[in-house]
Amino acid sequence: MAITAVMGYRIERRSTRSPFAWALALVLAGACALLVCAGLFIAAGADPWQAFAALLKGGLGSKRAIAETMVKATPLILTGLACTIAFRARLWNIGAEGQVFAGAMFAYWCQSALGDAPAPVQIAMIVIGALIGGALLGGLAGILKARFQVDEVISTVMLNYIIVYALSLLLQNGPWTEAGSFFEQTAMVPDAAQLPVILAKTRLHLGFLFALVAAAVVHVMLLRSSLGYEIRAAGSNLRALEFQGVKITRLIIVVMAISGAVAGLAGAFEVYGVQHRLKSGTLGGLGYTGIIIAILGQLRPIGVVAAALVFGVLLNGATLMQIKSGVPSALIYAVEAIILMFFLIAWAASEFRLRRLHHVE
Amino acid sequence: MPVSPAHADTATPRLQVQRLTKRFGALVANDAVSLTVMPGELHCLLGENGAGKSTLSSCLYGLYRPDEGDIHVDGKEMRFASPADAIAAGIGMVHQHFVLVPTFTVLENIIVGTGSGWRLPAAEARPKIEAICRRLSLALDLDAEVGDLSVGQQQWVEIVKALYLGARLLILDEPTAVLTPQESALLFASLRNMLADGLSIILISHKMNEVMQADRVTVLRRGHVVGSVRTAESSRHELTTMMVGRALSAIEAGERSHDGTTILSVKNVSMRDERGVSLLSDVSLDFHAGEILGLAGIAGNGQRELFEAICGLRPIDAGEIMLEGQSLNHRNPHEIYRMGVGHVPEDRFKDGLVPDFSIAENLVLGDHREKPWRQGLVLATGRLREAADEAIRNFSIACNGAEAIVRRLSGGNAQKVILARELARASRVLLCNQPTRGLDVGVIEYVHRQILEKRDAGAAILLASEELEDLIALCDRIAVIFRGEILAVLPGRQADIAEIGRLMAGGTDMQAGDQDGDRNGARNGDRGMSN
Repeated sequence: MAITAVMGYRIERRSTRSPFAWALALVLAGACALLVCAGLFIAAGADPWQAFAALLKGGLGSKRAIAETMVKATPLILTGLACTIAFRARLWNIGAEGQVFAGAMFAYWCQSALGDAPAPVQIAMIVIGALIGGALLGGLAGILKARFQVDEVISTVMLNYIIVYALSLLLQNGPWTEAGSFFEQTAMVPDAAQLPVILAKTRLHLGFLFALVAAAVVHVMLLRSSLGYEIRAAGSNLRALEFQGVKITRLIIVVMAISGAVAGLAGAFEVYGVQHRLKSGTLGGLGYTGIIIAILGQLRPIGVVAAALVFGVLLNGATLMQIKSGVPSALIYAVEAIILMFFLIAWAASEFRLRRLHHVE
Repeated sequence: MPVSPAHADTATPRLQVQRLTKRFGALVANDAVSLTVMPGELHCLLGENGAGKSTLSSCLYGLYRPDEGDIHVDGKEMRFASPADAIAAGIGMVHQHFVLVPTFTVLENIIVGTGSGWRLPAAEARPKIEAICRRLSLALDLDAEVGDLSVGQQQWVEIVKALYLGARLLILDEPTAVLTPQESALLFASLRNMLADGLSIILISHKMNEVMQADRVTVLRRGHVVGSVRTAESSRHELTTMMVGRALSAIEAGERSHDGTTILSVKNVSMRDERGVSLLSDVSLDFHAGEILGLAGIAGNGQRELFEAICGLRPIDAGEIMLEGQSLNHRNPHEIYRMGVGHVPEDRFKDGLVPDFSIAENLVLGDHREKPWRQGLVLATGRLREAADEAIRNFSIACNGAEAIVRRLSGGNAQKVILARELARASRVLLCNQPTRGLDVGVIEYVHRQILEKRDAGAAILLASEELEDLIALCDRIAVIFRGEILAVLPGRQADIAEIGRLMAGGTDMQAGDQDGDRNGARNGDRGMSN
C-alpha cells in the first residue's frame, strides 16, 4: 500500500524480504554507524581514525587481544542465548541481568560448601549451581506470569534490583565478606575451583568453550526438540498451541527457567573464570547487553555468538582506544547503542522498497 | 443525498476502466482489465479469491496506482494519488472490515476528516445526514456510539458516510458477509432505492443469490476479465463456470448411512463469562454416528463457545458432555483429541495454525510430543516430511513442498492443512466451525466432499456455517442457536431458509420489508435482533 510518494517515487512494503536488500541495508547501516561514531569521537576531542584504529588493534591486534576479546564475549554469548530462548517464545525476559547474579551467587554458595574437593567436582558443582540459581530466579518470574498474570517485563526488572541488593547485603559486612576487607567482595576462590585457562599466557578460560557448547545445544533445542517446537510455536501463535491443549502455564515457567539457567552460567563463569572472587560491581550490565546481543543476533544462536564477539572487540578495544586517542572508554556503550539502532533501522528499511511510478503527473 | 440527473440510458458511463494493469513484482494482479458501469447500475464483480477483485477496487479507490490503463469517471480521466482524490471524484467504498472509530458517535464517524482547520462541521452536517437517512428511510441515531451498534447498523454508517461525502459510485466489498438473511434482504431493497436515484454500485460478492440481483456481472479469473454479461441473459451455472473455469457438480449429500447410535451427547450445558453473562444456556444436543448436525446462527450467538466447550478449551458451568459413555468434563483438549475428536476451528490462522511454521510442522501441532513424530528428545523430521508429502498429495495442497511456510499459503490451502490434520484425528467426532468461510467455490466443494466422506465413514459431525444453503444441502438436522440457546432442531434437507432466518433472529416474526428490523435491534455488541 502506498505510504507516500515523492518526486515520482514511492515507498512500498515488500511482500517478501530480499536477502540482497537486507545485505545492502546492513552495509549502509554499518557506514552510517561509523559516521555517527566518528562524529562522537570528534566531539570527544579525538582523531576518529586514530580512535578506530586503536579500537581494532586493542580488540584484534594480537593473540592476547583476541583471547581477551573472547573472554569479554563469553558472558555476552550466554546472556544473549538466554534472551534468545525467551524472546523466541515472545516472553520478554528482561531479567537476564538478575539471573546472572543469581547464577553466580548460587554457584558460589554450592561451591563454597565443597572445601578441598578436586577440580572436576568443583567445576561440575559450579555449573550445576549456576544453572539452578538462574533457573530459580527466571522460573520465579515465570510462575508469577503463568499463575498470577504478572507481566514478565515488570517482574524481571524488579527481581533484578532485588537480587543485586541481596548480594550487596551478603557482601557488606555479611557472611560472604572477605575477612578484613573494605570492599564488597568475597575472598579468592581456591585454585581448584577456578576455571582452567585454555590458552597459555592469556585469561581465556574453559567458560568460552562451554558458551560455544551452550550455543550449539540451544540451536538444536530450538530447531529440533519438542520443547523448541513449542517455544517457536508460542512465539508465532500462542493461541494455536493452546487450542491443541498444550499447557501454556507450564511452558511459560519452563522457558523462563531455562532462559534464567543459561544467564546464570554467565555469572558463574565471570566469577570463576575471570574475577576468581564474587564482587558486586563486575557482573552489572551483562544481562542488559544480552538483550542487545540477542536482537543483533536475530534470535539465532549463531548470530548471538557473532554479535557477542563483535561486542567483545568493542569492549576489549575500548581500553587501548582511551590510552591512544583519549576517547573515554565509557563512550563504547554509546557505540553499542548506535550499532543497535542502525541495525534495527536496516532491518525495518529492508522490508520496503523504492519504486518508480509509471505515471508521471 | 447526491442525485445524478443522468440515468442508465445516457451515453456517458459513470465509470469506465480501460485496460487497467496492476503488477506486484512478478504477479500480475490485474491484466488489462476493462469495466464499464453506467449510472443507476448495480454491477457485480465476481471472482474467486485472488482473482483480482480487491486489487481492482483498491485501484478505483486510490489505494493502489495502476501500472497501465486509465480510469474515467463521468467521462473525465482520473489519476488517483490517494483515496482522498477518489472521494473527491465521487467514489465511495465500504470495506469488508469497517473503518469506524468505536468510541465516536455516528455523526462524528461520518464527518471525521471533512472539516477544515480545527473544527468539525457538526452543526452543518447534521441536517444533511438526516436528509440522507430519510431518503433511505433509515432510523439511524446520529448520537449513538458506533461501538454500541450492531454490525448491520455499522455497515449503514459506512454507507451513509460514503453518500455524505458525495459518492456517485459506491463500492461494496462483500457487504452481506456479516448480515442475517433478513438484514441482507433489507440492504438490497435499500440499494434499489439508491440505484433509482442514479447512484452506481459495484458489488463484490461470491454469493450467487446476490450476484443474480445485479444488472450486470463482470467475472474475473486470475487477473483477467473472463466476461461481462447481463444477469438477465445469464444463469448461475454459467457464471459459476466462468468464475471457476470449469463446471462444478452440485453436491449430492445422499442418504445418511448411520445406525442412529449416539456418539457424543451434550446435556444441559451452560456457560457464563467472567462477568456472569450467559454464553450458553441449557444446551442439549445428541450427535449420531454417520450424521451431520448443522448449527445455524448469527456470528457471536454462542457457536464458538459450544465448540470450545466440547473440545475442553473452555470450562462449562453446568451440564455434562459425554463421548461414548465417557465424560469429557475436566479433560484437557489434548486428551479429547486423542479420543478421536477433530476440530476445525473458526479462525484458521488464529486458532488452527502456527503461521511461521512449515506445513510439516503444522500437521503435527498438538501431537508433536506423541510417538511417531518424536524420537527421544527431538522431532522425527524425516517422518514429519513424509507425512506432509502424503497430505500435500492427498489434499492437493498447492505449495512448494513440505517445508513451505503456512503464512504464505492461500486461505484455501491453509484450510486444507488443518483438514488434513483434523480429519486424521476425527475417528469419532468431527467439529467444523465455519470451515468454508472466505474460501473459493472450488475449495468449498472440496471441503464439503471431505466432510461427507467422513460422515459416510461413520463419524458424528457438527457443522456451523453462515451459508444456510450449504447447511440445508449437507445436514441431516439443523440446530438454530440464538444468544446461547438452541431454539429448535429442524430436519435438514426439508428445512425452510426463511424459517431458519427467523429463528436466527430470535424467533420473532418479521415481515419482509420491515425496515426497522435491523435498527431497533441489537444493543451493546449483541448482534442478534429483537424487536
